[in-house]
Amino acid sequence: MKNINLKKSLVALTTSALIAAFAVVVPTTAQAASTCDDQTVLAGKSSKIITFKKCVGTDYQGANYEIRMPKKFNGTLFLYSHGIRNQVLLPIIPGVNPDGVYSRVRNMPDVAPGRTVADQEANALNLLSQGYALAGASPRNQGWAVPEHIEANMNVLEEAKTLFPKINKIVSWGDSLGGHISQAMSEQFGVIDTTANLHMAGSAASQFNYAGDVFWLTKVLFDPTMKGSGYTNRFPNDPDGYKEFLGDVTKSLRVLNALATAIGKNPVAPAWPETATNIPASLKAVPVRSAILLLGLLSGIPTQSQTYDASSGPAGPLETTFGVAISPALAVLENYAAALALGVVSYYDAEIRCGGIVFDNTATDYAARLGDNGDVFAAALSGKTATNGLLAFLNPLNPAAKRVKGDAKAIECINDQSQYNGRITVPTITLSQTADNITPAGYVQSFKNNYSQMVALKKAKPGLLLNIWNKPPDTYTKFTAAGSGIAPNVPTTGTTHYMFTNKQVMAVAKLAAAAAKTGKLPSVKTAKSAFKGDSSIFIDPDFTPALLPQEE
Amino acid sequence: MIRNTRMKRLSIASVAVTVGALVFSSLPAQAADPGVTSREIKLGYSGPLTGSAGLVYGKLPGAMKAYFDHINAKGGVNGRKIKLVSRDDKYLPTLAATQTTNLVLNDKVFALVGALGTATHSKAYVAASLAKKNVPDLFVNTGFSGFANKGKYPTTFTILPSYAMEAKIMAKFIKDTPTLAPQASFLIAQDDEFGVDGVNGFKLAGHKFAAAPTLYPQGGLSAALAEGALTKLSAVPGKPVLVLFGTTDTTATILKAAEKLSLVSKFTWIAGSVGGDANTLLALGVKPATINGALAASFFPDAKDATDPYVKAFMKINTKYNKGVTFDNVVLQGMNSAMLTVQALRAAGKNLTRAGLIKAIETKGANFASAGLVPLNYSATSRVGYNGYWFGQLNEKGELKPFGGKLSVYTTDSSSNTAPTASSYERKPVPKNGVPRNS
Repeated sequence: MKNINLKKSLVALTTSALIAAFAVVVPTTAQAASTCDDQTVLAGKSSKIITFKKCVGTDYQGANYEIRMPKKFNGTLFLYSHGIRNQVLLPIIPGVNPDGVYSRVRNMPDVAPGRTVADQEANALNLLSQGYALAGASPRNQGWAVPEHIEANMNVLEEAKTLFPKINKIVSWGDSLGGHISQAMSEQFGVIDTTANLHMAGSAASQFNYAGDVFWLTKVLFDPTMKGSGYTNRFPNDPDGYKEFLGDVTKSLRVLNALATAIGKNPVAPAWPETATNIPASLKAVPVRSAILLLGLLSGIPTQSQTYDASSGPAGPLETTFGVAISPALAVLENYAAALALGVVSYYDAEIRCGGIVFDNTATDYAARLGDNGDVFAAALSGKTATNGLLAFLNPLNPAAKRVKGDAKAIECINDQSQYNGRITVPTITLSQTADNITPAGYVQSFKNNYSQMVALKKAKPGLLLNIWNKPPDTYTKFTAAGSGIAPNVPTTGTTHYMFTNKQVMAVAKLAAAAAKTGKLPSVKTAKSAFKGDSSIFIDPDFTPALLPQEE
Repeated sequence: MIRNTRMKRLSIASVAVTVGALVFSSLPAQAADPGVTSREIKLGYSGPLTGSAGLVYGKLPGAMKAYFDHINAKGGVNGRKIKLVSRDDKYLPTLAATQTTNLVLNDKVFALVGALGTATHSKAYVAASLAKKNVPDLFVNTGFSGFANKGKYPTTFTILPSYAMEAKIMAKFIKDTPTLAPQASFLIAQDDEFGVDGVNGFKLAGHKFAAAPTLYPQGGLSAALAEGALTKLSAVPGKPVLVLFGTTDTTATILKAAEKLSLVSKFTWIAGSVGGDANTLLALGVKPATINGALAASFFPDAKDATDPYVKAFMKINTKYNKGVTFDNVVLQGMNSAMLTVQALRAAGKNLTRAGLIKAIETKGANFASAGLVPLNYSATSRVGYNGYWFGQLNEKGELKPFGGKLSVYTTDSSSNTAPTASSYERKPVPKNGVPRNS
């Protein structure tokens, strides 16, 4: 899923211009569904002429696909899997679906990653200009559509190989859920030569537990009238369930706005929202920012966001206090909006997909889950006493914090979703963000751990995984004269979801293509060299981001 | 339409997986540890250089560097000059994690030295993968007993006695002092692992405060809150003992509140080692008359005591290599840590490795020369440095003089309810010219 703040307007290339499209449909006998035409474009600042054949079609399961074959083909095809898209229709909602992107189900394929539609096209043209072929598919059903997307990918691969028999190397890549799909496909089918996963999603269970915790903690701490899970009936377009779901979206946004307003008025001691009717007065003495941070730490929301670095403070007496005690909570709040987007786009869909509640926290020990973060963020949590008070409120024996009992069959269904398990047998590269708010860094660590286990079991080959990290600057929060954080025009690198530059994506592509050709993973030295001078990238095999709290 | 070829693909997959199970045939030769060349040893420091904590502790890296410059001028350690790279973390956990990572990955330091703070360094330790990389983490300035967990922090050696030790010794001091024992005692402590360690120490010692501790989050004790707490306690008859277990800025806030309420003489003040630095208190605006008579714990000689051989030697180095910086407890602490570092590097031998350095401290660290007036406690099983305290009384000049005119050193541990014992520890003489010659 792309950053919802990034409006993906229709293709409006700034660095390339379509100068000719020879709409010559050349259906072949064997592939009657594909419609191909020759295209020539001028791309890049140097207006390089790129000529390629573009083939589109729909497979027998209703998945749309696209293949682009350059005139001067080098033998390697990049198969791209896009991220999660909504299966549930949403009205236009500020902060969640501001531009109507989620108001329709989209199943048109993309053939390359990029932060914006323009970036995707620029990256596609760049690769075509180097002689690489491109392909992508998008299944008819969206949501957590891993098996459907893998099937669609396999179909488009077969079509591509049939149309263009000179394809001899396949790089599978994707971002977010697309990274997950790419990896799962690579592990399940021995047709991929190299895999490159960008900010790869975790397992279905981990992602929905993440969303489930965010929802449940929001409900318990800030608005007990939210439903949070267990929506009625759960079949598509059921009016009651859909109304409940939209009601929760509205309530979550109301909470978000109330919290933001309270912190704006008094960042040191913001008041609790009026909707937090279950919170006793003694706990309301704790600044609500500490409850926000606790929500983030218990669910796994990063403590750095595009605006707040959890370090900087406005010049003046509040500088240190802001950095240590206020900034991490504001970061969680800012990231919360994105986590909410994940929840509303995918969680309801997960209940529909599996026919029940897919989240269960009846056995969760939230106090234990806080772990060392209770010490690290002691000041921001307003001290041990306040923290213990909030944790006690979350105790399962408290009727105001009633736990969610999942549906066993639905949870089994989620756990059985087609997914990767670390059984790596081809060179595999990940590019991830240290403060990603949708697919937190811990998912990659979980993947690394799974891979290590598979190697130990001799079910995977050693030395085939390279993890590349995109990080924020050391400090980056800017402040107004009044001391408020200034949201950047372009989200800070290393934060939000998908903040890779085209240059970084192309560097990964180059490494992946080389690996596909040689069958060997690039060395750390080679990889570092590919990103030389890029201060937002680091490669450290020892880097061990914290697992998501649900996975620890 | 594209036909479904799932079966064909599955067969391809199974072949690929079968063929794919290969094992390592060889491993690359072990590379030399980063940060060491034949001519240089690069060390790293992350701590507050600016911000409010920088006002108090900003002198630490400068003091360490001054001592290393002194050693470098005498030929370095086994022919290698020591270079210290300092980064400013402003005493903020997230920034400490970033800066420590920068030290390891970008600056490629061999070891870290003198990192400051519990929340900051515990986050930094994990973020920078210090354990995985086996980066020696020397003489961390915190008394958090959690760092003694070798399993969790296998490369860390702290320098301060634990806060639990300090609390146990404070409890004994109160109990053994006739003017204090009969009085009601109260605790005002930071509401985090620092204060909790202290509270646990008092519990282990069996000390009973007259009321539940007043706890506040770090940086959360405002002047108004301090005034409220003191006003409440002022109703207690006699001359209550007030133990302040927090950072120096909070001690200053409380003492200034007492000044405002004319309650300075109402209480006997006991400040912990972290919050009792007189120079800082005076710099933060506490009146000299207020600190006069206050009790404080320490494991060092007083930095104003120029008769102490270590203080004298370090003052000389400070004058030469740290020009314009006033010699105080922080400078003393920094130079002492640097001297311990030099001894550790020497003890590790010419073939310097990270593993060798850690082993050297484990096996020889307890015998290093040090300014501390209490024993060092390093061993294969103990990562806590000093393990004792002495009690002193501040005068208006900010000098800490032994309470009752006689230096009484106590030692203890962090976790048992065994009472602290008097120590007969005699520290080693200061190395000639301040240059260790150990091996």
